[in-house]
Amino acid sequence: MLMFTLKRLGLAILVTFTVSLLSFSLLFMAGDPASAIAGENATATDIEAIRALYGFDRPFLVQYADWLFGALSGDFGQSYYFKMPVSTLIAERLSTTMLLGVCGISFALLTAIPLGVAAAMRPNSLIDRTALFLSVMGQAMPSFWFGLVLIVVFSIQLGWLPPSGSSTWRHFIMPTVVLGYYAMPAIMRLTRAGMLEVLNADYIRTARAKGASETRVMFKHALRNAVVPVVSLAAVQMGFMLGGSIVVESIFALHGAGYLAWESIGRNDLPTVQALILIFSLFYIVFTFLSDLVNAWLDPRIRVG
Amino acid sequence: MARTIETVAEELRIPSPAAQLRKRVFGHYGLVFGLCALAIVVALAVFAPLLTPHDPYAQDLMGRMKPPFWMAGSDPSHLLGTDYLGRDYLARLLYGARISLAIGLFAALISGLIGTAMGVAAGYFGGRVDLVVTFLINVRLAMPVVLVALAVVAILGGSLQVVVCVLGLLLWDRFAVVMRSSVLQVRDLEYVNAARAIGCSTRRIILREIMPNVVNNLIVVATLEMAHAILLEAALSFLGLGVQPPTPSWGLMISEGKQMMLFEPWLIAIPGVALFVLVLAINLLGDGLRDVTAPENRG
Amino acid sequence: MKTRLLMSSVALAVVMTAGSALADKANDTLNAAFTKELESVDSYFNSAREGVILQRSIWDGLLYLNQATGEYEGNLATSWTWVDDTTLELKLREGVTFHNGEEFDADDVVYTVEFVSKPENGVVTQRNVNWMKGAEKVDKYTVRIFTNGPFPAALEYLAGPVSIYPNEYYAEAGPAGMALKPVGTGPYRVESVEPGKRFVLKKYEGYHGGPKGMASIGTVDIRTIPDINTQLAELFSGGLDFIWGVPADQAEKLALMDRLTVVNESTMRIGYLELDAAGRSGADNPMTNKLVRQAINHAIDRQTIIDSLLKGASKVVDAACFPTQFGCEQDVAAYEFDPEKAKALLAEAGYPDGFSVDFYAYRDRSYAEAMLSYLANVGIKANLKYLQYSALRDLRHKGETSMSFQTWGSYSINDASAITSQFFKHGAEDFARDDEVLAWLDIADTSVDPEVRKENYSKALKKIADEAYWVPLFSYNANYVFTKEADFTPTPDEVVRFFHVRWN
Repeated sequence: MLMFTLKRLGLAILVTFTVSLLSFSLLFMAGDPASAIAGENATATDIEAIRALYGFDRPFLVQYADWLFGALSGDFGQSYYFKMPVSTLIAERLSTTMLLGVCGISFALLTAIPLGVAAAMRPNSLIDRTALFLSVMGQAMPSFWFGLVLIVVFSIQLGWLPPSGSSTWRHFIMPTVVLGYYAMPAIMRLTRAGMLEVLNADYIRTARAKGASETRVMFKHALRNAVVPVVSLAAVQMGFMLGGSIVVESIFALHGAGYLAWESIGRNDLPTVQALILIFSLFYIVFTFLSDLVNAWLDPRIRVG
Repeated sequence: MARTIETVAEELRIPSPAAQLRKRVFGHYGLVFGLCALAIVVALAVFAPLLTPHDPYAQDLMGRMKPPFWMAGSDPSHLLGTDYLGRDYLARLLYGARISLAIGLFAALISGLIGTAMGVAAGYFGGRVDLVVTFLINVRLAMPVVLVALAVVAILGGSLQVVVCVLGLLLWDRFAVVMRSSVLQVRDLEYVNAARAIGCSTRRIILREIMPNVVNNLIVVATLEMAHAILLEAALSFLGLGVQPPTPSWGLMISEGKQMMLFEPWLIAIPGVALFVLVLAINLLGDGLRDVTAPENRG
Repeated sequence: MKTRLLMSSVALAVVMTAGSALADKANDTLNAAFTKELESVDSYFNSAREGVILQRSIWDGLLYLNQATGEYEGNLATSWTWVDDTTLELKLREGVTFHNGEEFDADDVVYTVEFVSKPENGVVTQRNVNWMKGAEKVDKYTVRIFTNGPFPAALEYLAGPVSIYPNEYYAEAGPAGMALKPVGTGPYRVESVEPGKRFVLKKYEGYHGGPKGMASIGTVDIRTIPDINTQLAELFSGGLDFIWGVPADQAEKLALMDRLTVVNESTMRIGYLELDAAGRSGADNPMTNKLVRQAINHAIDRQTIIDSLLKGASKVVDAACFPTQFGCEQDVAAYEFDPEKAKALLAEAGYPDGFSVDFYAYRDRSYAEAMLSYLANVGIKANLKYLQYSALRDLRHKGETSMSFQTWGSYSINDASAITSQFFKHGAEDFARDDEVLAWLDIADTSVDPEVRKENYSKALKKIADEAYWVPLFSYNANYVFTKEADFTPTPDEVVRFFHVRWN
């Protein structure tokens, strides 16, 4: 188990490095950001001065190494735009995005698992069809469209929920639903498929044959086994959601890390974009690493393989 | 009359494999709907010039935002009204179908080529090749797609080619994962071993023996990724970094209509519904194909 | 989908008629929205319109420009005289205190001027401050400001972007501290700052009684809401009382609503096409031909673009400046919309079948698209290249654009030097490179005699129009939308003065 953990950890670190190198070179290709930093009213001399000040004239590897060593000690440099440390800037915004992510994934799990289980218990029934319909809708409906429709209905027409901001829990309801709905279909399908498979397995038949109650069969035996892959999918989805919350954050004016990333791209604020890509990647890497460990712990065959 | 095998089968009420397949396909409502809807969209795109007399680029600044036919004050010569520059909305929708389909198709094609090559290589050769490919898949999955796509499009400037390439280069992961595991399943089957034993070239084994057996999975992933690419392009356009105007992509039309969505909701609803139907159709088609080719997965 | 569509129409109908009673007149709070995240509240370290708006509320300049009369009035200074061409002496207002209790005197002025005028301190918009050489204290309430050479527009800058900071506090807090806890002498003090997200201003009871006047509304709560639809939704549901920069089409619809006031006012921003007459992007490019440039001027129907897209107070402009700016000669060659003449000119220039060109733009995509269509009508196939501002500027600095759609707001400086001289003095953004124009502008920019300045700006602007170096297009306008409970009169400098907003 220790060997396995170390191997996976090594892989995770290697992936992190590669991602950081890729994203750094990607943004390096963008040309230098001196002009963007200088602002709309700058002259050519202003821009030249900024170029020298920030060291954009240095070779690529020097700039990368410089950035990497800083990043390893938690120092992502100064935001060109906000003129404050990127780590401070991100720390504040990341909490909003993470809260949104946790709410979103909880919403997705809380709707997807019951629906998936119910659908698997009665295949082709009305509830199965409804669940399928909901998941197909979720896959085809752009989240910005869904978000704007929710605002029209619940904020303007009914006046129940505030359209934007993040000061109270009520502000998080609509963003949670929109973001959660985005992750729901995949989780629901996996739950349903997993349940169907488990329900046909021998031990369930045995349990039934022994006269265990249907509820007991469902929850004690079937769900426990079906839910394991779902949890690791949820971990992956959570990683995706944090990166994918840009649109939701922009519509509901949530000022989270996703929105910050998008705006920073527009402002050529490289240190911020750089740090955010790395952090979003890290979320994914950490979540998958953890779920690998959980799976290995649950299923010893993986450790050997 | 000699009793042929078919009539025996008929008497025994065992449908032939082809008939079974046909029954499965046509008995699957999702698949049928997806296929029909996609066919309609493709037909509209192909026959766009025959279906509307209007040029999708011709402006009429004095006739902006004319409402569609079901609303009061509509103009019969513009069935779906006109957009913010007075361009015929129906014409833009029809020609836009070409763009959106092309984006989906070519993005899926590029990512399919990359992903399949990697997945097949990993699955077939195993060992180091597999390690490298798995590592690359991990790296790719760890990159936040929307963010990276936005950054690249912002750098290179939005154009049809750039958007297609960026999406193509970012969406190959699922192809690689699915192809790898599909090939793993078939590579040690008897007929593959037999081909190897009689000394067939690797190329021949992969193309002739392996690919035909995994191609159904490939098609399923390709449809889903096509839908994914179309939706992503819409999201990029919404964030202002999609294809370059005045090219009429549906994503771009939605983002243009978004400005007035509280007052003229039809401006966003028309391309929105079109996009929804197209993505729904492709997804249903993909799901249906999966169900039909792997019947044990059906509920 | 259809039901949704129906629902949203219904929603709109509800909004149009009923209207919420949530507006915050009751607790004396004006809820406003910014569209852009402001990088820093410190007015010397941002270059955004939002920054200017906060600056005018929080800080004071030495002078104040009365928008109604166009006259300069004393603000933190009470009187001023030019000692010589490069020395301005000012008497300061007594008894003024900063929001933190610090007393205002000559030391504050000297410290501020000395700090901002040094390039190494990195003030973002150098043009606002680099005309000042330094300052000197004469006595507690008298200072002298020295300029780098004669600078006739000095008063304009002292009434605009140059605001006075408290020396003791700024020395200690620096730009970073000022951005988080701004301290000034203005009618509003800052209650709280969440960088980029939210700014809460409170009426400053100790305001010195200068020309801005005491603020009327107790609290101004500004949130950044990037999406215009979300802003409108907040406006409908009573979460916002005041927004601006609303696009023309939406403003037209909002004007129909009972509980909202929509006011349109011109801004100093003008739009123009920059044509590469100097051949920087290639000596053989069609824009080097005067006839082609004139043809393009004739090809675009500017009035129709205004009537259908910009609307409001926008006007066609013919000179390369905003009409109210000092020195902005209006009697220049005007090119009426005449596509036939444009075609004839193109044929005469040797392009009977037109040509193909990249058309760069960074904002107002719909205007750009409309122009593309007009150009296509006379045979010029223009391919839109829509870039971010900074990316486009880099290309222009490298001289790679032969045709680009630009706009310039002159930083709300009511003087032609802020625009004409910006673009026609052989800088990186000058695509005309006309020596004669340069010579005239040099005289106009440095002379202290208004008549000499006028005459030389006039010569320069006439030649610019005759040579058709630019295609001057139109002036912009801004829509201000607010609850009927509030009253506000916008000004052409596009600065929202919260201290002039009051409840009805």
